[in-house]
Amino acid sequence: MEAAIELRNVSKTFGRTAAVKDLDLSIPRGGLYGFIGPNGAGKTTTIRLIMSILFPDSGTVSVLGHSSALEAKNRIGYLPEERGVYRKMRVGAFLHYIASLKGCEGPDLKRRIRESLERVDLGRTIRMRCEELSKGMLQKVQCIAAIIHRPDLLILDEPFSGLDPVSSRSLRELVLDEHRRGATILFSTHVMPQAEEICQHIVMIHQGKKVLDEKLLALRSQYDPRAIEFDPVDANADLTPLAALPGIEGVDANGSGCRIKLAEGTDPAEAMHRIIDTVKPSRLEMSRPRLEDIFIRLVSKEGDSAEDKMKLEANLGSMSAGEAGA
Amino acid sequence: MKNIFLIAKREFIATVATRAFVIGLLFLPALILIFALIGPRLFNFKNFKVQGEVAVIDPSGRVLPELKKSYDPARIAARREEQAASALAKAPQQVRQAAGNSAGRAIASALGPVPEITIIERPVDSDVEQEKKWLYVQPKSMPRLALIVVHPNAVEAGADMEYGAFDMYIPPNVDDRATDEVQRGLREAIIMARFQAQALDQATVGAIYNIPTARSVIVTPQEQRKSVKGMNIMMPAVFGFLLLMSVLGGGGQLLTTMVEEKSSRVVEVLLSAVSPLELMAGKLLGQMAVSMVGMALYILMGIALLASFAVLGLLDFSLIFYLLLFFVITYLILGSLMMAVGAAVSDMKEAQGLMMPLTIVFMIPWFLWMPISRDPNSTLAVVMSFTPFLNTFAMLLRMASNTPPPLWQVWLSVGVGFLTAYAAVWFTAKVFRIGLLMYGKPPNFATLIRWARAA
Repeated sequence: MEAAIELRNVSKTFGRTAAVKDLDLSIPRGGLYGFIGPNGAGKTTTIRLIMSILFPDSGTVSVLGHSSALEAKNRIGYLPEERGVYRKMRVGAFLHYIASLKGCEGPDLKRRIRESLERVDLGRTIRMRCEELSKGMLQKVQCIAAIIHRPDLLILDEPFSGLDPVSSRSLRELVLDEHRRGATILFSTHVMPQAEEICQHIVMIHQGKKVLDEKLLALRSQYDPRAIEFDPVDANADLTPLAALPGIEGVDANGSGCRIKLAEGTDPAEAMHRIIDTVKPSRLEMSRPRLEDIFIRLVSKEGDSAEDKMKLEANLGSMSAGEAGA
Repeated sequence: MKNIFLIAKREFIATVATRAFVIGLLFLPALILIFALIGPRLFNFKNFKVQGEVAVIDPSGRVLPELKKSYDPARIAARREEQAASALAKAPQQVRQAAGNSAGRAIASALGPVPEITIIERPVDSDVEQEKKWLYVQPKSMPRLALIVVHPNAVEAGADMEYGAFDMYIPPNVDDRATDEVQRGLREAIIMARFQAQALDQATVGAIYNIPTARSVIVTPQEQRKSVKGMNIMMPAVFGFLLLMSVLGGGGQLLTTMVEEKSSRVVEVLLSAVSPLELMAGKLLGQMAVSMVGMALYILMGIALLASFAVLGLLDFSLIFYLLLFFVITYLILGSLMMAVGAAVSDMKEAQGLMMPLTIVFMIPWFLWMPISRDPNSTLAVVMSFTPFLNTFAMLLRMASNTPPPLWQVWLSVGVGFLTAYAAVWFTAKVFRIGLLMYGKPPNFATLIRWARAA
């Protein structure tokens, strides 16, 4: 099946800075891809190259079977990172204008605009000027502008940044609805937990180079930490007996509980039974690999100092805790 | 093509449907009307009255009697009416008809109350230096306006056949209108005294001197029409002004909207739906339509004004066609370059440095309006009408003058204009591709040229 997006050896430099280096990327139709990486990794530049807003110095780009996104623009929905609206324009008129530019017209359009706004609780804003809306409301309007023409391909650049949890959830549902409808979705984020929650497939980029391109399920199995997260019912309980249990490699205390590392070949279910019999748990769950950890493992070079790793983690910024939301 | 139309339509509606546009469009006519209606009241001409004493030393003894007649309030009123009638006689016939018979009186009335000047006779052998001290004291009830010393040979020429005149001494801060009135009366008195000295009849001499101003007739193979004095200067000025105002207005608006779209980041949303070229073309066309609405309004007002004075024949209607043609060319050049500036910068402050040289270049022919209008076929005028960026203004000024250039020159200038417009649009399209998503350090002209080469 023909890919929705196909990038082959794409490079782009700005002055002396290489924003994207020899990037290969293939996104199948109907895929839900997360494009992740820290700030300045080259995500936005790659997306602009896909959208034909920028053009590569070398390599080829194919979007929905066309060599330029402009040839298929009516089938693409795009929410740029730098979002903007005509401040004086009314919300309904703005959506109508963007939809018209995307070739979507007819008597059905007004109804569709109204319904889309109602779906995200913005039905009352249709006659309001854009400048009267809050940032969260505007972000929803812009997201609607990206999907109002029911695109085959939806590209969202940091769609949840700066949103409160409620607005973030509402937008996430909108995105997932589009995927269920059959649209291919590529969304970039530097907040990795968001990608973990939504995506089926992860592409990681660092300093303009792809460092990972894998299905989320495969990632979880490949990078399985083989550990159990444990919190005791009694906060003062003695956890040292856990380390002596068969199949347990080690116990690392963390906060109110500990992380129990399993030895190679140990069955997690049996290990859990033994743990429950030894100390009564209030929480007991298998550890999942975090994208953030995977990313750090992938981009950390042999011989990197602890300071280098700290810098990298700082660069990742709010990847895990910060930007609330999704 | 459809997207270009959609962008142009939004641009047009977003500009025209604002209060600022309506106010801006009506501002100039409203300003003219306001000045015409309340200007005279503001300047308060009517309330000023020349009143005071004038001391006169007249060694000839012949000027003083005439001066008394000349300063007589009835005579001053009559003199004002004569001057107004004389001024009106130089105006076109249609204007004279419109003004009617009361025009002279109306003008005289507008000049304010009739002066009240009292003559103080001083002895012929008075010491002038002592007499000057009379001006040092200024009674509030009757200000002392001037000391006049008539020359002994003011009425009868001396052996060298030279006539004398008079010396006039005034206190500080005396109003010019008062000194003018004193001088006018004195001049009339001396002339009248000279007539009498020569036993000449003033009415006869006046009749001999009077030759009514003849209006020349413009002759072409198609028609003959009477010229109106000053039209050869006025008409180019009006057309040049219309062109300049429309182009600068439209260009400025393009720059502003472009900077707004870039700084509000809406431009990236647009670029996902249309190509940079479509965006540029749509905005250019939309603002061109806005400028044309304004220009059409002013042209219609001008035609209505000429028609109301029954001088519509003075207007060569083909000039309106050329005005529109040159507008399109000039607008494409300036408008697209303004858009290039708008696309390259991040805010209006950054735009100032780049737009100022552009505006000045387009103003050059306007600064040279007078020499081009007076001599439309001079080397300067001909060279300018083929110089890119300047040619449209210069050619329009020449065409609106009394001696328009040959048609081949006009169309050569149109060709130069379209070539320049093509280059400007090409340059802007290149800058657009790079500049629209560039933020940070504001570029200079060298950077813009580098972008154009790189794109």
